[in-house]
Amino acid sequence: MKNLFFPIVLLSLALSGFSAEVDFAKDVAPIFQQHCVRCHTASNAKGDISLTTFAHLRENKYVVGGDPDGSYLIELVTASSAQPPAMPKESKPLSDEEVTTLRRWIAEGAIWPDDLTIREQSKADKTWWAYQPIQTERFTDWISAHESDIKGRDPTIDHFIRAKLAEHKLDLNPPADRRTLIRRATYDLIGLPPTPAEVAAFVSDLDPKAYDKLIDRLLDSPQYGEHWGRHWLDVVRFGESIGYERNVIVDDIWPFRDYVIRSINEDKPFDQFIREHIAGDVLHEDAPDVAVGSAFLVAGPYDDVGNQDAVQAAQIRANTLDEIIRATSEAFLGSTLGCARCHDHKFDPITQEDYYGLYATFSGIRHGSVPLATSQQREARAAKLAPLNERKEQLQQSLSDLEAAILKRAQDKLAEYERNWTHEPVDRTGTEDHFEPVIAKFVRLVCEAQDNNPNSATGFGIDEFEVWSAGDNGKNVALERHGARATGQSRSIEDFPGAYGPQLAIDGKTGARFLATGPDLTIELAEPTLVNRVVFSSARNESTADQGKFTFVAEYRIEVSGDGETWQVVSSSSKRKPIPRPELVNHRLLRLETTAEDVAEEKRLKRELAAVNRDIAQVPGLPSVWIGRRVEADAKGPFHVFLGGSPQKKGDEILPASLSVFGVAGSPNYVEEALPKPIAGAPAKSSPTQGEGALDEFCYQLTADAPESERRLAFANWLVHGDNPLTPRVLANRLWHYHFGTGIVDTPSDFGYMGGRPSHPELLDFLALQLKNNGWRIKALHRLIMLSDTYRQSSAYREEAAHMDGDSRFLWRFPPRRLSAEEVRDTMLVVAGQLKSAERTVEPSAAFARERARQPDGGPGFRLYHFMQDNVCTYVPLDKHGPETYRRAVYHQNARASVVDLMTEFDQPDCTFSAPKRAATTTPLQALTMLNHSFTLDMAASMAERLRKEAGEDPSAQIRFAFQLCYSRQPSDGEISDCQRLIHEHNLTALCRVLLNTSELIYLQ
Amino acid sequence: MMQLSELTRRSLLGNVYSALGGISLMHLFSGGLSGAENSWQAGRGQTHHPAKAKRVLQIMCPGAASHLDLWEHKPSLEKYHGAPLPGEEGFVSFQGKNGNLMKSPWPFVAAGESGKHISSMLPHMAQHVDDIAFVHSMHSKTNTHGPGCVFMNTGHPTEGFPSAGAWLGYALGSDNENLPTYVAITDIRGEPPNGKANWTNGFLPARHQAIMMSGQQPIRNLAQPISISKAEEDASRKLLNRLNQNFADTNPAESDLQARVAAYQLAARMQLSAPEVSDLSRESAETHKLYGTDDENQLKAAYARNCLLARRLLERNVRYVSLFCASRASGVDGLLNWDAHKTLKADYERHCPIFDQPTAALLTDLKRSGLLEDTLILWTTEFGRMPTHQADTAGRDHNPDGFTCWMMGAGVKGGVSYGATDEFGRRAEVNPTTVWDFYATVLHVLGFDHESLTWYHNGLDRRLTDVHGQVIKDLLS
Repeated sequence: MKNLFFPIVLLSLALSGFSAEVDFAKDVAPIFQQHCVRCHTASNAKGDISLTTFAHLRENKYVVGGDPDGSYLIELVTASSAQPPAMPKESKPLSDEEVTTLRRWIAEGAIWPDDLTIREQSKADKTWWAYQPIQTERFTDWISAHESDIKGRDPTIDHFIRAKLAEHKLDLNPPADRRTLIRRATYDLIGLPPTPAEVAAFVSDLDPKAYDKLIDRLLDSPQYGEHWGRHWLDVVRFGESIGYERNVIVDDIWPFRDYVIRSINEDKPFDQFIREHIAGDVLHEDAPDVAVGSAFLVAGPYDDVGNQDAVQAAQIRANTLDEIIRATSEAFLGSTLGCARCHDHKFDPITQEDYYGLYATFSGIRHGSVPLATSQQREARAAKLAPLNERKEQLQQSLSDLEAAILKRAQDKLAEYERNWTHEPVDRTGTEDHFEPVIAKFVRLVCEAQDNNPNSATGFGIDEFEVWSAGDNGKNVALERHGARATGQSRSIEDFPGAYGPQLAIDGKTGARFLATGPDLTIELAEPTLVNRVVFSSARNESTADQGKFTFVAEYRIEVSGDGETWQVVSSSSKRKPIPRPELVNHRLLRLETTAEDVAEEKRLKRELAAVNRDIAQVPGLPSVWIGRRVEADAKGPFHVFLGGSPQKKGDEILPASLSVFGVAGSPNYVEEALPKPIAGAPAKSSPTQGEGALDEFCYQLTADAPESERRLAFANWLVHGDNPLTPRVLANRLWHYHFGTGIVDTPSDFGYMGGRPSHPELLDFLALQLKNNGWRIKALHRLIMLSDTYRQSSAYREEAAHMDGDSRFLWRFPPRRLSAEEVRDTMLVVAGQLKSAERTVEPSAAFARERARQPDGGPGFRLYHFMQDNVCTYVPLDKHGPETYRRAVYHQNARASVVDLMTEFDQPDCTFSAPKRAATTTPLQALTMLNHSFTLDMAASMAERLRKEAGEDPSAQIRFAFQLCYSRQPSDGEISDCQRLIHEHNLTALCRVLLNTSELIYLQ
Repeated sequence: MMQLSELTRRSLLGNVYSALGGISLMHLFSGGLSGAENSWQAGRGQTHHPAKAKRVLQIMCPGAASHLDLWEHKPSLEKYHGAPLPGEEGFVSFQGKNGNLMKSPWPFVAAGESGKHISSMLPHMAQHVDDIAFVHSMHSKTNTHGPGCVFMNTGHPTEGFPSAGAWLGYALGSDNENLPTYVAITDIRGEPPNGKANWTNGFLPARHQAIMMSGQQPIRNLAQPISISKAEEDASRKLLNRLNQNFADTNPAESDLQARVAAYQLAARMQLSAPEVSDLSRESAETHKLYGTDDENQLKAAYARNCLLARRLLERNVRYVSLFCASRASGVDGLLNWDAHKTLKADYERHCPIFDQPTAALLTDLKRSGLLEDTLILWTTEFGRMPTHQADTAGRDHNPDGFTCWMMGAGVKGGVSYGATDEFGRRAEVNPTTVWDFYATVLHVLGFDHESLTWYHNGLDRRLTDVHGQVIKDLLS
């Protein structure tokens, strides 16, 4: 079947000449396309009718060839005297001419060419700006139009910006002063404030290249990677818990965070970096530090709750892959591919086939950890383990032989043993023991084996435990309301104490039960009492007592005591028949038949086994990293479009392929244009993806049996192919966005119809070309941007300019901004002199230890929450942040759906979606946290200590130094006296708390 | 241009939120938005059409509270108890195979003038049936608690979308300068499945997330540190205010600097108001008794205190209160929430008494105080339970195909039962209703057209009702 977008059909048929008869393609199909297929496609068949092909209309007799009056379709679209037409339901009725055309078409036999499928037209088509090649022509035209400004030189960023400003009769602000500039550049590149010494040196540096040197120094700082790595982690929705119901913490995806920081510090070419995200595990054998890049695929949330319902399980799996597809297309392509899951994209020329092509590409990915090591590491480990495992197997065999021998002896004496088993087996719904009356203050149940696993004496439940006093008027003296108290180790839930506690066994109610994590349950009676009977159970009144949740004791003894120290056994399970299951009968027989000699032999074997197990444990494991598993069985096709997004409704079969908007495999759309000259000073390097032969052709389509790894590799190469205009534009725009607060396209992850339009299209292409021309290294682009007049201008406000362009989209001033959540916290730590930036010591054998010198910190993250797990996980923000948390916020182990005070309140996004932009809100909760959380108080105290140490005891010197630290400026006389008053009347710490709360500290101009 | 100093303190504070909603003060006063006055704008107390309700109380019973054992009477289950479910013998649902049909362990009884049959386990709630609009034909997209809860609260079964309360806060802005707009009251037993994703701002600005508080846990960071004396605090706040005001004055164009000064003042007022609202000792002994705040069942008493707290928040015009009764899936099914997989009878004999009296008291209290006239009450859960028992157990497995939610109060009819599941309660059959229909109706009562309340995010103008939803006209009064 041909899938044709309508304009193509029109074109081909327009050439076929005029016909007096109604021409379906020319006259009828446009009517269906315009009025019907929004709601009636195969994927979205409202009323179970699709108008994309003839099948439904014919089968349901909506259209009867030759009989317009007998065709229900005509009735639906025709108004009656009282009623408007029933269809279209959600838009204007068809015109009379259109209805006439439909009638004529039916009257003439209702011919619908078999191979013609009508598709809804998206708002944007392949002529949309973002899909056009990046070409020098686009701005050679621009350059000639602006020749009077450029005067034969190479165009610069400022040419583009000034030209657009001039169109609106605007111009740049004058340059910012040096103090503002060093503050702006330092935060921008490393996310931290400049030190007072750095500010002083820069302000007084007479070298005309002082600013260039500053930028170079900052780009060379390892802290640059921490700050820009954080930006990138937003884009790739990096989070360290899985989200959804269980929201389990992920403790081994931090190597990806370190990899991002390391790669950005190294100025790794981004085309390489992106390929590693999609296929790092495929690119090189034996390179764990490249494979770790592919953790990108599984860095998002997913639902891991098992589901026995096959329909639901398929839907959850589809949701998981959908998350990967969305994250990928938004991060790299600025394209909202996810919108084509249920139907063709309504706005952009992306088909459902495109979406499911990527579904096939990623179908082999499952979330989870895998060992990541070189083959050398693996082999070395296997060699160490082999003899130990062999010895372990031998010992286990000997133990099982010993047990078999004992059991064989016991079987011979079975009849003799059975004579002593005078009582029935234990019963989960109620087990009763009578014994000789005895005075007891304490009564306890000691478990010797539980009934689900006789080798364990814990894990049993007791819903009620009764102790009856002797005599005619005996009563249950174990009840809590009679003054008794129960103790016993129990399973616990941190935020719900007593959920499984021992008190449940004496509350007089069944339903909830004590769940033992120790071997006993002890009841302390209100007073010494003459008792002679106990009754206990785990499933009283339950109709399904076999359930695992009712695990009970199998072997036990009942003991009493007067003082809680010396105990007397009053009854036990030894007189009962064992529960008639082989493992429990064997357990009983083993207990009875084992001789002292057997015990000694068993001990010896177990001791040796324990020693071997210890040796095994001492062989270091392979580093395990959350890069996801690759499951060939899941990756096996054929794959289909899911109609309406439902895995239960399979449509046409699809193959892994590149996006169709750029054409189909075998007919490349673009011939790469000659690139402009590289940025002066930076050597031009061709991208590593070039010249590898196989990558010559841009568009691709793989066969159904292409291996999982090949699919991802083909897609990765396509993303960064020289003919792909989206990836470099999207990346260049992200850089611009982070430097100026708003991108040239203000929706950095959506370059489609619903996204913003570029404010400076030629500049965007200029930057994208510079990026490619510099071998996809971004440091050169930072330099280019930051050395421009546009970046260096002041942020001063001019009313007449604001009237034209309030948001400064045309950049008549540098847009001021509030610091991000991470910058706020890092700044407080720096100002207080508490930021830990020491290098970590890392085992030399660890796979990720290389390049340590480029990374001041790293390794497992710190937590500003208390983590609790009881089937599902709970994250409770901490009231106190210890010194172990005094690290840069990029190293915080960000869990999804958690709230962590300062970080959340200053708009750190929940990492559930890719976050292309940060909000910068102002709320009273920020004020409450910044004033009252102990972190502020601790930082204020540390800062005060630092001021005393570094500025001495003179309050005015302390204030001057504090202002340098916080604002990179001197205080005014008025400020000094105001601050002195607070120090004088209260203390220096109070002043520090105030300064940490000031707007000026977290506001950048 | 108008100078900021000309603004009254009141109007400035009123603009704290809107100033940050993408519309700067400068724009407002420089006429940058001229022509927009007539159209609806988010965050300014405006609605699309006149609203019937001003605020919402949403009671959420997580764990999939059984429609068949609480709200929707199915005589056929009694009649065919022990017989296979026709057409779905041995059906495999979330946890596995199903057994035969199982009647509710308790009888249903007729209540109110409407004679509505509800479970005899809810004697207090029975007093309110004549005011309730039951929706018995709800169905969900998912049979898993986490996605089900976020679907019920955000209109999307995947994480990351704003909750209904966040949408309302975004749409209307704040109506109380001293308290949060949106409060989530969690149960003493912990957070519901998916935790904070149930009251998240999603991609809306952070100020739209709910503030967590409960009878056990005050608002975080609200209290002034005990190590700081009142004199020191006052002097510190004074200096801070001066420094921030000076900085704002030096940069008059940056509206968020002025907003920040206002935010600190707002915080100070919140420090006074919030402890007052949490102080239940101001309520009469009669009220405490009505709710059951001193019940010997500690879980019930704690939930009763949360119900009372909810009323105190609502009467102070907090716009959206999410009140949770029960929490997450524990290691033992059905212990901490309504997820009665194995032992329905024991589990619900634990949960119903916690829920019944305090909830009914809250409804009674809202009604007698007149608050019900402009408050919309929602009772929700994430999906229903199977009419059959789970194989080899005496509980019910998850059933996303049919369940009950209800509404009450402003803008909705009382004593109505809309829609129904089939004879056995397995699937929504009469007027099947989606979560999107439910919220389309809620937004309608609140004065909003659900299709017009949108926020652009990653490629789409997103809605609480996704791309679906029809107002259920039959429920509207």
